Amino acid sequence: MVAIESAGATDVGKKRKGNEDAFYIDNDLKIFVVADGMGGHQAGEVASGLVVKNIEDYMSRIRKNEDAEELAEVDLSLSKEANRLLSSIHLSNRVVYETASNRSGYKGMGSTVSAVFFSDSTMIATNVGDSPIYLIRNSEIQNLSVSHTLLAEQMALNPEASLQVGAQFGHVLTRAMGIDRTVEPYLCELQCFKDDIVVLASDGLTNKVTSEEILEMVPLHSPQKACRLLVELANNRGGEDNITVIVLRVKRILQKKSGIMKLISHLFR
Amino acid sequence: MPTLTLKFKKDSSKIKEYRLERGQSITIGRRESNDIVIENLAVSGHHAKIDWTGSGFLLTDLKSKNGTFVNDQLAISHWLKQADVITIGKHIIEFAYGKEEAQPDEKEDDAMGETMVMDTGKYRSMLAKNVSNTGSQGAAANEPMGMVTFLSGNQGDVDLTKKLTKIGKNASSDIVVSGLTVGQTAATISKRPDGYYLSYVGGISKPKVNGESVKDSVPLKQFDVIEIGSAKMQLIHK
Repeated sequence: MVAIESAGATDVGKKRKGNEDAFYIDNDLKIFVVADGMGGHQAGEVASGLVVKNIEDYMSRIRKNEDAEELAEVDLSLSKEANRLLSSIHLSNRVVYETASNRSGYKGMGSTVSAVFFSDSTMIATNVGDSPIYLIRNSEIQNLSVSHTLLAEQMALNPEASLQVGAQFGHVLTRAMGIDRTVEPYLCELQCFKDDIVVLASDGLTNKVTSEEILEMVPLHSPQKACRLLVELANNRGGEDNITVIVLRVKRILQKKSGIMKLISHLFR
Repeated sequence: MPTLTLKFKKDSSKIKEYRLERGQSITIGRRESNDIVIENLAVSGHHAKIDWTGSGFLLTDLKSKNGTFVNDQLAISHWLKQADVITIGKHIIEFAYGKEEAQPDEKEDDAMGETMVMDTGKYRSMLAKNVSNTGSQGAAANEPMGMVTFLSGNQGDVDLTKKLTKIGKNASSDIVVSGLTVGQTAATISKRPDGYYLSYVGGISKPKVNGESVKDSVPLKQFDVIEIGSAKMQLIHK
């Protein structure tokens, strides 16, 4: 069992009229989601809202009744929890895709998604698009997400050729929720430790605030205050985009140990 | 025409000034063949270059050993703006447009600043044009593929294809290791965007990487030696 302290904030920013970001926090289910929608005329809002809502629905339905599980496709190389999280992503992708294809006003809408889900002793991070997930551990900040942008993929494939693409393509996503019938999320699963801090954000934050700055600020404050300060900082630097951030901290990990092992490990500590 | 002013350390006097013409590329490095030669061992033979791209000047680090910094931030490629300061070793180069010279309009980028999704078909054909190797899927191309090979305590190799590989005494572990003080799940190796990480999970004896006891989590490099109980294994990249 992992005990988590968390907070989230979203802000329209200084230039945009509507907020196309959405987020979802559940300390009981231990799931944390950020979605950054796109597509004009409120469609972006609809897309990110649908993503978040459907993940929430799926995860809480399964908690109530494990039999309700409808895994899209089980990947045996992943843990049960990772498969569960992926299923929720696949499901919400399908919902956004179908909504977008059935209603003319919503044509072409899409969203990023970044989610973190905790099992008994691990955290699972998954993402589609360019909303980053950071892990702060031992005073270092690391990425748990992969940016699905044209530039990032080009850099990975061939740094020389990426120059021809140009910086203006930095925001062009190569994968997003709701664009196609299926989606291929990136996923990683790792052991979690006490005092780990995870930051999920929309690019409205990370275009303005560097990961080094996040590393400096966040550990000094409560999740709630850290969220507020980060949003303020992004707004002070222009706030051209919607800004969303979730900060969560692992307060403690209760390990299940059988009686005798507990005793022995106490003796040897 | 923009100028590049080369100095040794920030506040010292300038060593030389270079003019940068539109449509022209220049190279920076230790070797004589560069346009800007910096004779210092901290500078790589071919360290960086600056290209005119039609809409601005782009600085690119040529995988130099010690890196190129712009305004104290590590830069791999960077669009040069008025008064940017490039740091290479202990030398700095200041970039400045001439007086009253037209500078690339930053606003132009705003339309593209909005996030959008690219038509995948169009994207794939663009990729095909630029990149010979399109067989692999995007960023996954860079994802590490590793295996651990036993040095003692067991035999053979185990591919690290899973996102989370479990090592322990429990028979369901991906890598089973015996020993009284080894935990049911002693450690896990997770595959993360920047490579493999080994984490301690449970059991009295902690895993060791290159002889150092791991109390929470460490990144793994090629050829690192992992010890858990009596087993010794090595990480190899494929």
